[in-house]
Amino acid sequence: MHELSLATDMTRIIGNALGRKVLLDRVNITIGPLSGISPESLRFCFTEVARMAGFGEPELVINLTRAKLICLECNTEYEAKDFYQGCPGCGSISRRILSGREFTVDSVELEEGSD
Amino acid sequence: MCDDTIERKVDITTSVMNKNDRFAAENRKLLSEKGIYTLNLISSPGAGKTTVLESMARFFGSRMAVIEGDVQTRRDAERIEKAGCQAWQIETGGACHLDAHAVNHALDHMDLDPSELELLAIENVGNLICPSGYDLGEDMRIGLLSVPEGDDKILKYPSLFSSINVLIINKMDLIPHLDFDVDRAIEECRSLNPDVQVFTVSARTGEGIEEFCTFVESSYS
Ligand SMILES: Nc1nc2c(ncn2[C@@H]2O[C@H](COP(=O)(O)OP(=O)(O)O)[C@@H](O)[C@H]2O)c(=O)[nH]1
Ligand SMILES: [Mg+2]
Ligand SMILES: [Zn+2]
Ligand SMILES: [Zn+2]
Ligand SMILES: [Zn+2]
Repeated sequence: MHELSLATDMTRIIGNALGRKVLLDRVNITIGPLSGISPESLRFCFTEVARMAGFGEPELVINLTRAKLICLECNTEYEAKDFYQGCPGCGSISRRILSGREFTVDSVELEEGSD
Repeated sequence: MCDDTIERKVDITTSVMNKNDRFAAENRKLLSEKGIYTLNLISSPGAGKTTVLESMARFFGSRMAVIEGDVQTRRDAERIEKAGCQAWQIETGGACHLDAHAVNHALDHMDLDPSELELLAIENVGNLICPSGYDLGEDMRIGLLSVPEGDDKILKYPSLFSSINVLIINKMDLIPHLDFDVDRAIEECRSLNPDVQVFTVSARTGEGIEEFCTFVESSYS
């Protein structure tokens, strides 16, 4: 797995956005079920990488989204965290995936007194 | 207090893959300027990527070049060269996937100028998860599944199988010995990806290879 390099990319993005190293309370990110990322190993790597990069020990808050799908039989839009269930309207697995690949750093929360 | 939390919160809203995606866009631009159509082959280790590429090398000859990222030795690259194509080996250092930056460097080393060159095939690292998040700048993403792996793999690895343009089901010569349900695999792949093109092949016997090569050819000409 490559969560270590992804955690490093996250700290690079945060550093670029803030323009400086400050202690962080929280880092809010979004991970979709089709991103191929394991939230547990990312969390494990990020704690260490963030500390080494001078951001303190922020809590990593992960917004795990569901994929959005549209049924090609009955046009029902629905959400799913995996792909074993068919459409809740008609049961068909004929569908198109509308979203689910996202992996973003959404925001950070600075530690009090860090500026 | 509310104002305080708002001030302390800094919006970032940035895709973590943005650096890779920039290199991928650069690769895509360079390759399309050279008139080269690019394939990214992804499968688990041993599914038959190199064997399929060897048979493609015999079909396309010097019209195709190959980037090998699968293993650290030059063994796979030598297999491709022997079959008739230029091949460049990426030293992945044991990485679990190729990224667009590594491909960008490989392109620097390759001779992309021969006028007959029209196709570049990239053999990714054997892995069904990691490579799915990394756009390399390819025009066609191909997922290979071999029948000994089992017909339940598609829905287990949706990040890959929802992102491919072409599914190759390989090692069809072994079907009589296994309970792999081809129709089930195809139906499940279409459930992630209704537009996917499917080819059932045996790189061992050559079954289905010509149809696949002809399809690739027709995708850019
Ligand atoms: N029976 C059979 N074996 C195959 C076929 N394609 C590849 N193999 C064998 O599978 C093994 C792994 O193939 P290789 O191309 O190195 O897989 P890669 O790791 O995906 O590049 C080799 O021993 C191949 O000879 C096929 O269509 N049928
Ligand atoms: Mg190989
Ligand atoms: Zn439906
Ligand atoms: Zn570089
Ligand atoms: Zn990886």
